[in-house]
Amino acid sequence: MTEITIRVNGRERRIAVEAQATLVEVLRRDLNLTGPRESCGQGVCGACTVLLNGRPVSSCLTLAVLSDGADIVTIEGLAPEGELHPVQRAFVEESAAQCGFCTPGMILAAVSLLEDNPNPDETEIREYMSGNLCRCGSYPRVTRAIQSAAARMRVERP
Amino acid sequence: MAVLSVGQSLPRVDLAAKVTGKAEYVFNMELPGMLYGKAVRSLVPHGEIRAIHAEEARQLPGVVAVATGADLDGLYPWFGPVIHDQCPLAIGRVRYVGDVIAAVVAESEAVAEKAAELVQVECEELPAVLDAYHAMQPGAPLLHPELRLPDTGFTDVRAVLHPEPGTNIVNYFRLRRGDVTKGFAQADHVFEDTFRFPNIQHCPLEPHASIARFEGNGVLRVWSSSQTPYNVQVALAQMFHLPQSRVRVDVPYLGGGFGSKTYPKLEPLAAVLAWKTRRPVKVALTREEEFITVNRHAVTVQIKTGVRRDGSFTAREVRLVWDTGAYADIGPRLVKNAGYASVGPYRIPNVKVDSYCVYTNKPPAVAFRGYGVPKVAVAHEVQMDRIARKLGLDPLRYRLREVVGEGDTFATGETLHSVGYQELLRKCAQEIGWGSKPAPSRAGKVPGKGLSVSIKSTITPSASQAEVRIYEDGSAAVLTSTVEMGQGSDTALAQIAAQALEIDPGRVQVIHPDTAATPYDMTTSSSRSTFHMGNAINLAAEDAKQQLRDAAAAMLRATPADLVYEGGEFFVPSQRERCVSLAEAARGTGTGRGGVTGRGLFRTDGGLDDSGQGKASVFWFAAAGAAEVEVDTETGQVHVVKFVGGVDVGKAINPQSCRQQNEGSIITGLGATLNEELVYDNGQAVNPSFLEYKLPTFLDLPDVLQTVEVETAHREGPYGAKGMGEAAVAAVAPAVLNAIRDAVGAELRDLPVTPEKVLAACAREEGNAGHDRDHNTCQRS
Repeated sequence: MTEITIRVNGRERRIAVEAQATLVEVLRRDLNLTGPRESCGQGVCGACTVLLNGRPVSSCLTLAVLSDGADIVTIEGLAPEGELHPVQRAFVEESAAQCGFCTPGMILAAVSLLEDNPNPDETEIREYMSGNLCRCGSYPRVTRAIQSAAARMRVERP
Repeated sequence: MAVLSVGQSLPRVDLAAKVTGKAEYVFNMELPGMLYGKAVRSLVPHGEIRAIHAEEARQLPGVVAVATGADLDGLYPWFGPVIHDQCPLAIGRVRYVGDVIAAVVAESEAVAEKAAELVQVECEELPAVLDAYHAMQPGAPLLHPELRLPDTGFTDVRAVLHPEPGTNIVNYFRLRRGDVTKGFAQADHVFEDTFRFPNIQHCPLEPHASIARFEGNGVLRVWSSSQTPYNVQVALAQMFHLPQSRVRVDVPYLGGGFGSKTYPKLEPLAAVLAWKTRRPVKVALTREEEFITVNRHAVTVQIKTGVRRDGSFTAREVRLVWDTGAYADIGPRLVKNAGYASVGPYRIPNVKVDSYCVYTNKPPAVAFRGYGVPKVAVAHEVQMDRIARKLGLDPLRYRLREVVGEGDTFATGETLHSVGYQELLRKCAQEIGWGSKPAPSRAGKVPGKGLSVSIKSTITPSASQAEVRIYEDGSAAVLTSTVEMGQGSDTALAQIAAQALEIDPGRVQVIHPDTAATPYDMTTSSSRSTFHMGNAINLAAEDAKQQLRDAAAAMLRATPADLVYEGGEFFVPSQRERCVSLAEAARGTGTGRGGVTGRGLFRTDGGLDDSGQGKASVFWFAAAGAAEVEVDTETGQVHVVKFVGGVDVGKAINPQSCRQQNEGSIITGLGATLNEELVYDNGQAVNPSFLEYKLPTFLDLPDVLQTVEVETAHREGPYGAKGMGEAAVAAVAPAVLNAIRDAVGAELRDLPVTPEKVLAACAREEGNAGHDRDHNTCQRS
């Protein structure tokens, strides 16, 4: 076991982890954060996406020990309790989720996209988001939600 | 004040929980003291188990137990919806690569996985049958020498269940209408085509997960990602010799189902492991296990059609051979429903269908969004275009002339109602710009357009029950066993209840399934919930209102019959100012804070006879598709420029949700058309991961994806609504194939349409070198 210190959703946590433990396991098992979900275990589907030092990563491919010292945001910490991030709000308004299992990963990837590119066109959205899978077929609505969130964020946070 | 609820695009009520990651899934659930079960699986497609060595696994720290078929002693080990042919742990024999031989139970998932690898199995390999064609031949190795039928249920399948003893044919469905011999004799042209479809997988982002716990009071509690909680309850009661009342199945949100989570799957195994260890046990599949646990049927479709010179039909004969895998699951019903649907939505006087459900040594094939129709629709629609070409008919006008309409008789002999094909076809054709040839986006890309229609049934007969509870504060709870798996049922059912009660939909809470609390529903599948549960809710709301009316009448010193209910209030029309609100009436019932509960049961009748005649469906899904594609003649790559999918929804309870379901159906259809195939080598899945099995991504979307919803009110539907959640899936592949044919002349007969197949088909077409072609052909450099 190795002790690591990570900042998760704004709170510093010291956790003892096995060398082979992945970040998604530690977040779920030790911190009870079930927003990140291991669906493929290969870094292909994006359901386990978290923001690590502001960048989206597949937490199923990230070893917990290697995230020592990192700042991590999961869907649970994206907005203060009781509030929604503009991207979350846009997902609700555009009905951009169905079963909702992929949704936390989708939203965190979208947040990261909008950090990089506050005004993405449809092609840029599709390319950036292509690492997040949705079997229900919400892609067109997710695309619209990202565009609508982008528009709102440009006004609210110029 | 009239409350507007039905017909409004109200925001989905489940999304607040889903965008914050708080929505509950069994995959995320943990119980105190819970253990984890992991399966030890067969590595051979067919074999006799000789010995299981589990000592090493048992000694691993953290391992609590290793269970095998021997542990089923004292239980009724069999389950399966139509045929009792499955066991939670193999007894003696394994029938596919992945069949569960043993299971390890451990304190953590990691230990369970590690221990499962330590279990050594000695297996004597038996001859295997790996495709349906070989499996159905006389003398083929048999998977299930005897068939065990459950006592009750599945009346629609039981009525036409014809296994062929001594073969691997577990059901042979036949439909006979008119006289095909006579019909073909009357034909001027006869067309024959064969189509092949591979296995694909559902890929719900939430893999199957079940938790079981035996409680101190003798109740078996199960939390499961199931589309059919009541069916699971019955199966477990039988397995553990428990009264049904002592089995309680809870279903929170599902992270996608698409048919894969109907009927018992992991629940029996989780329950057996909980029974053996006397602790709560969770069994959840990894993605790889998900791929090898269930799939969608592979099938070969042979279709032969006779037409007169003008294109009118004289006869159609269809032969379907379905690879149902090692266990029947719901295959026997699927081959029936897809059997009659294979005739297509056309007026054909003489019809013969033979549909075979065949065991093979592959993972069980189960229900999948579209229920077989996405394959049979390819057959009748690609052939429809071939007939049109031969006879010089426009595919749109030909379909408009021959497609069924209100009052027509279907192949099953029943009269069709609420099938808006004319409007669907016209709208889809208009949206795709039918009749105009688009310009290629650049050299080497050849555009083309295609159309399609499809017809599908819903489970009939079936039953749904609902309770509507009205509390003393005027809020309402809707208790149903409809599973919210992404289709938007929480929202649509709340809208229906709100409309019936004339209250704000925000005052209605839809309660998720718990067989101890929510009343019976047959299944959340077959796109049946809006229609069936919607009707049950209306009946329950009426019942609740009746109880409240009596209370209100007493309060107003009026007779109940004189009261009017409007805008959430009871009153006597002549004294409008004296009114009793829903909440006041609930208080007036004297039932205390629990309010009043209204109950509703909605049941449909029907069934087919041995010639496939009768009433197959209480309503019919009419769908149409229109595709515009561009084929790259250098690479064979097909790009879908635009897809329009249309469904007759009867009445859109929530128009936005309808569009969302249609969008999902179209994307599901496109995946199966262009990308998806679960490949097997000697019964072993070769590509059981998202790296190798290509789900549609954002990059696979058409440039334009459009839906069309038409509303031909159904006389028995709530507000005229019908089901629609999966209807558009079947219209996708045929429209795309017809568009490819239109573009480059390539005749494709099997899915998925890979670039290699497109190039090969182009080469064949060039070899044929027809002179009357009005289309481009591939130019390979």
